[in-house]
Amino acid sequence: MALTTTTEPVPATAVSPSPTSKPTPRWRNRESLTAWLFLLPSLIGFLIFTAGPVVAAGVISLLDWNLFSPPTWAGLRNFARLGPDPTFWSALGNTAYFTFVSVPLTILVSLALALLLNQGLRRIAVFRSLLLLPYATITVAVAFVWIWLYIPHDGLVNAVLGLFGIHGPAWLISDNWAMPALILMSVWKSFGFGMVVFLAGLQAIPQQLYEAARVDGTSPWQSFRNVTLPMLSPALFFVIVTSIIGSFQVFDQALIMTNGGPGTRTTTLVMYIYRTGFENYDQGYAAAQSLVLFAFIVLITATQFFFQKRLVHYDN
Amino acid sequence: MSTKLSRRSFLELTGLAGLGLAVAGCSSGPPAGSATWAMWSSSAAERKVWQDFSAYVEQQLKVKSVPTLTPSGPYPTKLDLQLVSGTAGLVTALNGTLIPTYAARGAHRPLDDLIEGDSDFDLDDFYQPIQKISSFNGKTYAIGFDVAPTVMYYNKSLLQKQGIALPSRTEPMPWATFRELAVELTHAPDQYGFTCAPAIDDLVSWIYCAGGNVMSEDASRSILGEPEAMEALQFVIDLFVKDKVTPPIKNLVTESSLSNFLEGNVAFMQNGPWQVVNVRKAKFDWDIIPFPAGAAGSTPRVSGSSFAIPSGVREGADLDLAWKLLKTLTSTGALDIYAKAGRNNPARFSAGSAFQPPPDNLGIVQDILAGKVAGGHPFDVTTNWNQVKQLLGQDLPRTFLGQVPVPEAIAGVTPRLDVLMRQHLDNIRQATARRG
Repeated sequence: MALTTTTEPVPATAVSPSPTSKPTPRWRNRESLTAWLFLLPSLIGFLIFTAGPVVAAGVISLLDWNLFSPPTWAGLRNFARLGPDPTFWSALGNTAYFTFVSVPLTILVSLALALLLNQGLRRIAVFRSLLLLPYATITVAVAFVWIWLYIPHDGLVNAVLGLFGIHGPAWLISDNWAMPALILMSVWKSFGFGMVVFLAGLQAIPQQLYEAARVDGTSPWQSFRNVTLPMLSPALFFVIVTSIIGSFQVFDQALIMTNGGPGTRTTTLVMYIYRTGFENYDQGYAAAQSLVLFAFIVLITATQFFFQKRLVHYDN
Repeated sequence: MSTKLSRRSFLELTGLAGLGLAVAGCSSGPPAGSATWAMWSSSAAERKVWQDFSAYVEQQLKVKSVPTLTPSGPYPTKLDLQLVSGTAGLVTALNGTLIPTYAARGAHRPLDDLIEGDSDFDLDDFYQPIQKISSFNGKTYAIGFDVAPTVMYYNKSLLQKQGIALPSRTEPMPWATFRELAVELTHAPDQYGFTCAPAIDDLVSWIYCAGGNVMSEDASRSILGEPEAMEALQFVIDLFVKDKVTPPIKNLVTESSLSNFLEGNVAFMQNGPWQVVNVRKAKFDWDIIPFPAGAAGSTPRVSGSSFAIPSGVREGADLDLAWKLLKTLTSTGALDIYAKAGRNNPARFSAGSAFQPPPDNLGIVQDILAGKVAGGHPFDVTTNWNQVKQLLGQDLPRTFLGQVPVPEAIAGVTPRLDVLMRQHLDNIRQATARRG
């Protein structure tokens, strides 16, 4: 039977315009206006604190400005300085290393713990809260604790390794181990966020899908691959995008635990931008670097959104 | 009697209250005519000293004193933002190493006209090194409040326990003797001979004593690779890597020679008299001696801090008050407060008697500055010292860890230092042109 009536009010835009009157523009509808009003505070915040600084950085990147003397026009010179600057490339490489190792590790740990917590454990809320604690703690405090954990001779990390007959390295002052040490700490610090998102995603998967899979005789691995992963892909996508953006902006733990050393082994791009702008008073060059970082993040996020269409399954 | 408040009235009242708060927030600030000044302060004891300064200013100038105290770490960034936004105080404290940086950028004004026009102000009462530290490009940009040479602290109890004769209180020991003593006193991992920070700030004293420097006389190039500086660098690095007379470096960020020394198992610590106030907490007997003498004698780094007037202070009443405030903050009376609290050696000769023992041999600080004992070398810095320090801070610590030999580290860092030196000369040229 076809429905011929509706109890819903007919949207203003759906009313047939009379031949003499112009249609009301969508933005003048009462509903649209209400929506804009609700959006306004957030929009103003976005314009002032996000879009504004991005535009300002674009302008400043074309200037020579030491904060005090009047700025002078530099054109693209600040961007040209990036090429021969070894510290910039080292910082970019370190940031990429940090991101492409820490993000997959964090996701693996988060997913593993979410799967574990989703097994109908008793007192799941207690475990969930405990595991979320590192994420809720401020990075500065965590970084100082990890400095102590990493002390070469008396630190807990090397003491534990020693139990297995492994002579641990001098983590934070070693050329090869300083960055892995930061990554390990960052994974510990941030897995809680992904875990909570994954757990919510897992609990939203309809049980009938698993039952159907069981009837079809799937193994647990096949069930995970063909039911859990596709159904969890929106959550996975969200965590990957936000984690990569966050990791490209890594700053505080590197500043506190290694100050970018030894050498420039743990100097990250945001740390270098901060130093260029506020310690070396080279605002134009710092703005140029920050625009490059911005471009990298936009590029990577856009690529992720491009693949999202093929890899992410929305249950609608 | 109860009054019903409609939703509309409630919203109106809330809006008005918010507006009122915003206006109150925007209009808050020190009252006009206040003596505003900025200073770093990282502890309750330090804060107390600056509060006493503030009371002294109010008593002397009969105006409200408004100090803005910020922990030393974020102080430069906060000061920058205040200077740029025009909200800095009439007077701001500056670490000596940053005076050329601020002066070259035009952030602070020269004081020569004010000094010349004030017959009450006697610049000669200030030690020569702090006058040099507070100058840039031939002009005085700041007036010092403290100045001191680096000295050698030693653990008297430890030396006596080991049956080793106490070092001379006035004669600097030669480097070779110092090294022998440090080796003899080292019984790792329980006891070590020496501690210093693995950074240029400490290395530079050894470089000066060897007759070297970070930069050439005209600051046009780095001379860290020349034999004098290389000898000094190798000597100190060997103490860490070859002789292993220093406590092992656990972390390059939190490594602190002071905490190593306060453990009580380190014989010698290189540091300045500004740490006397902290070492007084030590649970052992200790004292200070002149810095060990290298080929050029005992001429360690002399550093200090000063007060300066931002360029943004308007001519007229504001500048008059700023100058009076600066004179008060660096007066003998104020520096007496500072020295009596044991913070550091005051920059004025006339306030010297207020910097009193312990330790017993504290008098050598002023004798060194006056040229009666050993010697000193004002800290030579550039107008981009932050960058120089940053570059050296990246590459030099690896030599302390034995990861890179000294010649390789210096060869790697020299071309980049030379670029910074050229930038420094450009900065001076621009500052001169601006002033002209």
